[in-house]
Amino acid sequence: MPLRPDTVAKIQDYARRYPSAQSAILPALWAVQYEQGYVTDEALAEVATHLKLPPSLIEATSSFYSMFLTRPEGRHEVMICVNAPCMLRGADAIVAYAEQRLGIRDGQTTSDGAITLRSTIECLGACGGAPMMQVDHRFEENLTPDRINAIFDHLRTAPAFHEQPPAEKKPARRTPTVSGEITRSGPSGARARTRKASK
Amino acid sequence: MGLKPVLTKDFGTEGLRQLDAYERTGGYAGYKKALSEIKPDDLVELVKKSGLRGRGGAGFPTGNKWSFLPKGMYPRYLVCNADESEPGCFKDRYLIEESPHQVLEGILIAAFAIGCNTAFIYIRGEYLPQYEALESAIEEATAAGYIGKNVLKSGFDVDVILHRGAGAYICGEETALLTSLEGYRGEPRLKPPFPAVKGLYGKPTVVNNVETVANLPHIVVNGADWFASMGTPTGKGTRVWCMSGHVNRPGNYELENGTPIRELIMEHGGGVWKNRRLKAFQPGGASMMVLLPEHLDVGLDFDAIQKAGSLAGAGAMVVMDETTCMVDAARRYVKFFHHESCGKCTPCREGTFWMSNLFDRFEFGEARPGDVDLLLDMGYNIDGRSFCPLGDASTWFPRSVIKYFRDEFEQHIAEKGCPFRKETEAAVAVA
Amino acid sequence: MASTVVTDQVTLTVNGQSVTVPKGTLILDAAKKIGIDIPIFCSHPKMAPVAVCRMCLVEVEKMPKLQPACAVYVADGMVVRTTTEQVQKYQKGVLEFLLINHPLDCPICDKGGECPLQDQTYQYGPGASRFDFEKAHFDKAVPLSDKIVLDRERCILCWRCTRFSEEISGERELALIQRGVHTIIGTFNDEPAQSNYQGNWTEICPVGALTSREYRFISRPWDLDRTASICPGCSMGCNIQVDARHNRIGRFQSRENLAVDDGWLCDFGRYSFPTFQRQGFEAPRVRQDGKLVEVSFEEAIAAAADGLAQARGAVAGWASPAATNEELFLFQRLFRQRLQSPHIDHRAFRPTWPDPDPDDMTLPIADLERCDYVVVLGGQEVIDAAPVLHLRLFKSERRGVKVLKIDAEQGARAREWVPADAQAVGILATVSHKKEATDLQAALGKKVKGSVRRLLVVRGPNGRGANDLGILPNFRPGYEGLNGQSGKGRAEWGKGGIGAAYIFEASPLHAFEATEDERRWLSGLKTLVMHRFRASPLDDLAHVIIPGRAFTEKAGTVTNMEGRVQRIGRAIDADAVPDDWMVLQAIARKLGAPWDYHESSDITADLLDLIPQYAAVDRGERVLWSERT
Repeated sequence: MPLRPDTVAKIQDYARRYPSAQSAILPALWAVQYEQGYVTDEALAEVATHLKLPPSLIEATSSFYSMFLTRPEGRHEVMICVNAPCMLRGADAIVAYAEQRLGIRDGQTTSDGAITLRSTIECLGACGGAPMMQVDHRFEENLTPDRINAIFDHLRTAPAFHEQPPAEKKPARRTPTVSGEITRSGPSGARARTRKASK
Repeated sequence: MGLKPVLTKDFGTEGLRQLDAYERTGGYAGYKKALSEIKPDDLVELVKKSGLRGRGGAGFPTGNKWSFLPKGMYPRYLVCNADESEPGCFKDRYLIEESPHQVLEGILIAAFAIGCNTAFIYIRGEYLPQYEALESAIEEATAAGYIGKNVLKSGFDVDVILHRGAGAYICGEETALLTSLEGYRGEPRLKPPFPAVKGLYGKPTVVNNVETVANLPHIVVNGADWFASMGTPTGKGTRVWCMSGHVNRPGNYELENGTPIRELIMEHGGGVWKNRRLKAFQPGGASMMVLLPEHLDVGLDFDAIQKAGSLAGAGAMVVMDETTCMVDAARRYVKFFHHESCGKCTPCREGTFWMSNLFDRFEFGEARPGDVDLLLDMGYNIDGRSFCPLGDASTWFPRSVIKYFRDEFEQHIAEKGCPFRKETEAAVAVA
Repeated sequence: MASTVVTDQVTLTVNGQSVTVPKGTLILDAAKKIGIDIPIFCSHPKMAPVAVCRMCLVEVEKMPKLQPACAVYVADGMVVRTTTEQVQKYQKGVLEFLLINHPLDCPICDKGGECPLQDQTYQYGPGASRFDFEKAHFDKAVPLSDKIVLDRERCILCWRCTRFSEEISGERELALIQRGVHTIIGTFNDEPAQSNYQGNWTEICPVGALTSREYRFISRPWDLDRTASICPGCSMGCNIQVDARHNRIGRFQSRENLAVDDGWLCDFGRYSFPTFQRQGFEAPRVRQDGKLVEVSFEEAIAAAADGLAQARGAVAGWASPAATNEELFLFQRLFRQRLQSPHIDHRAFRPTWPDPDPDDMTLPIADLERCDYVVVLGGQEVIDAAPVLHLRLFKSERRGVKVLKIDAEQGARAREWVPADAQAVGILATVSHKKEATDLQAALGKKVKGSVRRLLVVRGPNGRGANDLGILPNFRPGYEGLNGQSGKGRAEWGKGGIGAAYIFEASPLHAFEATEDERRWLSGLKTLVMHRFRASPLDDLAHVIIPGRAFTEKAGTVTNMEGRVQRIGRAIDADAVPDDWMVLQAIARKLGAPWDYHESSDITADLLDLIPQYAAVDRGERVLWSERT
């Protein structure tokens, strides 16, 4: 699927914005992901053409960074940090609760295609609000089961991030806050074993 | 000593993210003063005299860093490092979120001081709301004439490019950040040449942390002596400490340097939660060595913390109570470093992979006698051998945990699993 | 890079031994100078240091951490130690790290026996690994192209191949993909690699990750017979080593000659070796009653001599520009003295050719780096004719030489482009565009202050030798004119007056390649002698077919495009087939010549008498005629 003309125009703008067109690779890849939801090889080749760079370089760069998706996933991305500061405040139980609530395991997508759930060892910068999650790159902190329910309910019907008109993207979309204590509910022994050393 | 809001003084002011509210709190006065009253070289001297040290982790004196730029070589670049990714750190996010203009003003002052006409902000990809906050701050500042050609008729031209990362902790390392900004894979570069001589696009470049530049407007307005009057002899000013973990009130606290750790955790943080006892704490973030309750009276200061056996790093304070499995804490960090290793050098790429496997073995009850020594030996082969500090640092916390809590590792081996997990699971079941 | 010009010398000690080297030398090279080997994987003398493998860490006094010897420059008074307990313990550690995700499939790996990883593990590594987890798995036997097979498990991520692609060939085709322990090398989207320099990746790979498809499972390195030779691919004259096993060619490897190839080969040349592989014994044949029948070599030679002599001087002789100087020397003597025919040529068909002259090679290949402006007149056509030139040009560009690649017809643009204050200008063109090159040279000679030199790419590994030795209708050896005694060139042979022809088609890569008109003409001859290694499309027109030897089956000398005379070696025994020079001698003897050479080196000696300039062969130098600059 070729890139939309407005995306191409953006990429060309980026190339002019920097002292070197090569610096426009990351912004260009973001533009691709915003338009298409993920970054295909076809799009990489197109970016290479627009930036007049070898395609191998675009793939080398895009594959280095963890935020570019290479295949279609759920309409919404839910990332729960399980690094030590979040672990101290019960992140594992939150992952377990989310898994139970959505009926999927870490890394999977709900059958309605609404939500992809991921626990991440990469700190997301909200240790003070742990346990936390990022929903489409927006912070949700001090999570409780009620709050998670509210977030998930909202996401079930909300349009995908990359399909929203640009105007709606600007204001931080807040789901209604539900007050409550941080609890440690969830099935026992839920410590995620899925984050074994990667192969 | 104690709480000393300088950077955070006006946080909470309504609309502070917007230019008019920021200006009402005295915003951009420092920038205007610098442009109209101070020559760039004098600005460098002023910052040198203030004793400001970089807040990104290494604590290098900022004014000195600026003065390493080779004379007469242009263009030169300023890059503000907003790639905050150290587990335990969330101060840059806070500073940007609450007052993006303060950060921007600092960048503009630094750019003026070093004679840079194109400044960059490299912000981590995960900080989307913060990216947007900076984006609109830049728009407003441009409209107000703070950014552009001949700013406030001073003859100074400046452009600010906001660049978003895409998920790579390594890009917080300054040379990796520059490589990434150039569009390549974010792999660190050989030093020398240092960025001051050959940085972005091969030009002289200064990389400064968000918190570092946020100090600049205040130093310009209030003077070097005012700044140097705060803190310790070798650690002037304040720092924003990011407190997390087992405390009652986690969050960011701006304290005068030298304030005892005890005050941060016990007073401002409200002490250890659930009336539990303090087991350990970790200043500086994932990379840094663990400290014990006996270190509570150490001052929050680069040198004091280093003397105590850890490093202040980027100003994190992760608090761990008596129920914490230190092996699991170390495991999380090791897995993090394994995940974030760029793969450039052998010790880090292979070593973090192996350590990560070994820690899983402890967690899942398969560790054997000798595994602790194996970890220590691996640490020996990684630390100081890696290309950049990421690999080195991956070993610091685990090794310090072995130093102080070796018995917990032995317990994992003897009991074929985590002795704390049973407790945690029991607690979960009760809840 | 380490090669910047410095005059200051510094003295340091390595393991207690003092060594003085120029400032800007790497610790690694300073140590090597006094015979101290520091193990390396990623470091390569032709690439900028990256210090990624961390194998070369050594102790440097006053530096708290171990330092990469491949990336740290020496300083006066530096004290380096490479064998301390700390270094040795670490070397074991880093090798253990490198091996945890390496498959250790040495018994089935082509690299086994010449593998730096294997060798250094034996020399510096631990006896056993403490790693007892499952290794990271990657794709094996990935077809990176039709030439290269990639094993991603064996790769130790030294970056040599990707840096080659970036720094040496500039094609940026190979790249690192993914990160951390998942990092792999590859082309974009695993599409087949297009580079013409891929074989070099296999040579610089310090493990068995990148291997040549043609050499897979062919031999163990210790079973190879190695012979120094010259690449038969083009007139560049890249130095090669022919590796053979059981009298079969296994591969061509580069044999670094900094003045010529800089240590690299192109794939066209490197993978041309199957062309020279002998396919069993072929008997000579002679046409009897319209049919080709098998005869002995002696009978074939007699028939050839008879047939050629009967033409009474109306005989044309074509020798391939891949034949050795020794063969060409005999060839022209056979024609000029015995057959009384000046009608000899070595060139491809073209209505007219500009005359060659020694000025065609006043610009040595290595001097491209020392020009400030180089015009490649013909662009890609020139590169295609001598692909390794591209690597030299790219290297020159990286060092600041301005290079303009344009079509041969665009000389006017080049005249504009080169500024008047240029110090040294080089012009590269193929011999087909000699006129354009000399016109440009003349014009620039008037415009610029400095020198303007040209280098013409000729056809074949000995195209220059064929010119030097007068395999031309109008020049004797040494570019001496024939004073009105000129013969007919190839373009005129078909116009009548020729009754017989001897086509000495030494190499299938540089064959006669007859046009339709030429085929028609050849088919009308009374005698056509085909002396060639491999079956030729002209065989069906021949009256005598004499099988010859492959480039790899003979010894002698060839002269490259810049006039450098180099030796080729006999890598393969082909005793059942007489050496090509012997056939020439045998024909000449039938015609009364008293020649009595026993070795091709005897011919070399006679050749040197005739052309003393060729004594350069013993010095590895270029032949200097009356060099003007």
